[in-house]
Amino acid sequence: MKQYPTSTEVDFIVIGSGAAGGIMAKQLSTAGFSVVVLEQGGWGKYGREHEYNKDEWLNLNLSDDDRLMSDPTKQRNTFRRNEQAKAVPGSHSYGCVVGGGTVTYGGSSWRHLPYEFNEASYDPTIPSGTGMADWPVSYEELEPYYTQAEWEMGISGMKINSPFIAPMTKDYPVPPVPLKSSGALLNSAAAKLGLTSVRGPLAIISQPYMGREACVNCGICSGYGCQVRARSSSAVTMLPIAEKTGRCEIRVKSYVREISVDNNGRVTGVIYFDSQKREVRQKAKAVVLSANAGESARLLLMSKSARFPNGLANSSGLVGKYVMFGNGAGASGLFEHPLNEYKGVISGAAIVDYVPSDPKRGFYGGGRMTARGYLTPFELGLGGLSPEAPRWGAGYKKALQEEANHRMTISCFVTQLPLETNRVDLDPDVKDEWGLPAMRITSSSHPDDKKNMEFFRQKSIEILEAAGAKKIWAPPVGDSRGGAHNRGTCRMGNDPKTSVVNAYHRAHDVPNLFIVDGSSFVTGGRNHPTMTIQALAFRAAENLIRSAKKGNLRTSL
Amino acid sequence: MAGLNAAWVTSNYPGILAAQEHVRQATKAGQLPKLAFFSDAQAGEIEAMTAQIIPTDETPGAREAHCMYFIDRALSTFAQKNQPAYAQGLQDLQAKTKQLYPDAAKFSALTSEQQIKLLTEIEKTPFFNMVRRDTIIGFLSRPVHGGNQDKIGWKLIGYDDSLNHKPPFGYYDAQAQSQKG
Repeated sequence: MKQYPTSTEVDFIVIGSGAAGGIMAKQLSTAGFSVVVLEQGGWGKYGREHEYNKDEWLNLNLSDDDRLMSDPTKQRNTFRRNEQAKAVPGSHSYGCVVGGGTVTYGGSSWRHLPYEFNEASYDPTIPSGTGMADWPVSYEELEPYYTQAEWEMGISGMKINSPFIAPMTKDYPVPPVPLKSSGALLNSAAAKLGLTSVRGPLAIISQPYMGREACVNCGICSGYGCQVRARSSSAVTMLPIAEKTGRCEIRVKSYVREISVDNNGRVTGVIYFDSQKREVRQKAKAVVLSANAGESARLLLMSKSARFPNGLANSSGLVGKYVMFGNGAGASGLFEHPLNEYKGVISGAAIVDYVPSDPKRGFYGGGRMTARGYLTPFELGLGGLSPEAPRWGAGYKKALQEEANHRMTISCFVTQLPLETNRVDLDPDVKDEWGLPAMRITSSSHPDDKKNMEFFRQKSIEILEAAGAKKIWAPPVGDSRGGAHNRGTCRMGNDPKTSVVNAYHRAHDVPNLFIVDGSSFVTGGRNHPTMTIQALAFRAAENLIRSAKKGNLRTSL
Repeated sequence: MAGLNAAWVTSNYPGILAAQEHVRQATKAGQLPKLAFFSDAQAGEIEAMTAQIIPTDETPGAREAHCMYFIDRALSTFAQKNQPAYAQGLQDLQAKTKQLYPDAAKFSALTSEQQIKLLTEIEKTPFFNMVRRDTIIGFLSRPVHGGNQDKIGWKLIGYDDSLNHKPPFGYYDAQAQSQKG
């Protein structure tokens, strides 16, 4: 791999190598620019994915170099429900490895629907006083980049004409993964209830594609690295191409603590800690920040200077605000015959009729209902039984035997209103393992969000009943405290007073800083963010390359 | 067992593999593995606990799956940092046994009903939950780690460990497929 001396000023630093960072690195380097990717995590099994073992016990005991998610005892964070409360240690965690969260995610790859970009303008159900606003990008503008992302990454699925599914100009490159029993049960319930059950798009290939092998349905999937490279992560799609250009260096265990600026307010590079916690400076003509919504906002807030006393790119005061972590609801049921949900991907089918908000429900909200039931042996044994099942003893063993493979779960991915009071900022007291201020999360969902979650909880029960479940249980709805679907902390918009980046992800305040990840989201969609992050990244990269080729990166973008 | 010392695992990985090999060889030869952490007396107490958590009835349980040996291996490899908690927990178990049954020498000497009564009293303690978790993990993890002998645990839950599956996966997708075609 290309290695740049830190004294060399490279064209671009890309901070983060996940869904957006991987695409930015690949697009910029193949366009001829020099790129250094700074990844906080380690290599994982990058380039030797076959070494990902399918041993649950070993996977729970990964070395620091092999771990795939951030560690809340090191990447510390704190949580509180509101400004008055004292924040307590939090459990927020995210993909932290070359490839980021795309290495371990379930792979759901839903596009946003056209109206999810301008709900604020037309939807009468949106309550007042929230941060709902239109995106400065329309679905029509983004559509070609969705297609590009689907074909370059390798997304499986089928083109469906439905008012509940985003229209596509081109089908998916590979067909859907095999139907599971949960999907078959969802279909039969949908047929009874007059609902629309569809095969969902997944970043898991069902056939060989671009030199990668098809999924073997091993069942050690979400949360684990993919041994056969069937999951279309940044680590097996984008980053190898970037590396092959000879212009892109991926520098792991590089934890950025500051984006530096000069007196003119332009970015000059970054300061990061290397694996030995030594400070390193890397100069660049421009910086692309793709660290995920929570960490991107935190890094901007930590990058204080005389010129930017409230944090970089924060003249609006909105950096960190309107964070959305993602809400859910659902129910589980037991069925007479075995489903064997542990085989195959985590979820392959969904009911989509309740994606739009509906004034008849009396609140704003929508969501997607996905069929699952996937439990690994440990998950089943340690906490996967129905609520009344004994925790040990003869009754426990009997339940283990009877319930294993007979369970189906409906997991709903639902809206969360952006609220200015929900935010990430710097904890005044707690420091992380590197001595930097810990991320502090302040978050409470809007009352409509809670009504919506309860609506989906009830609908999940109805669908399981229609599917013929013998026994059903549905935990009370909760409220998010963090998580990998974080979005919205550097929202995009045309007005620098009410947004952090413009429609092409350029920071309003800093001409050579680009923030490309879920932080740009103005609204949260239905809590399936990755496909839209990827489409936005391809679009941002195209624009950035066009501008950069015209002249000096630092001044005339 | 999230939170075990991960760095230790890497540096001791060859040792862990050797330990696994040891377990495998010993089992092959029909002998029980040698204890690495527990004394014989401690092993008997822990084994009795595991056998109440997943008892033996018409089908084999934690005892036959060698969950105690799995825990012993874990405590001498991955989970060394849990050694003090196990040592203390065993002392507390002894004290609790004396408190409830002054005439009994040890927990494993109690009748099954007495054991269940005692464990029900301590089922919310961190020690019980640690033994429960480790028993279940030992029951359902790959046999190479010392537990789940003869895939007893996987057989109970109907888990096919081939890690390479072709549809139909279950009853309902098979049914859907046959209706379709």
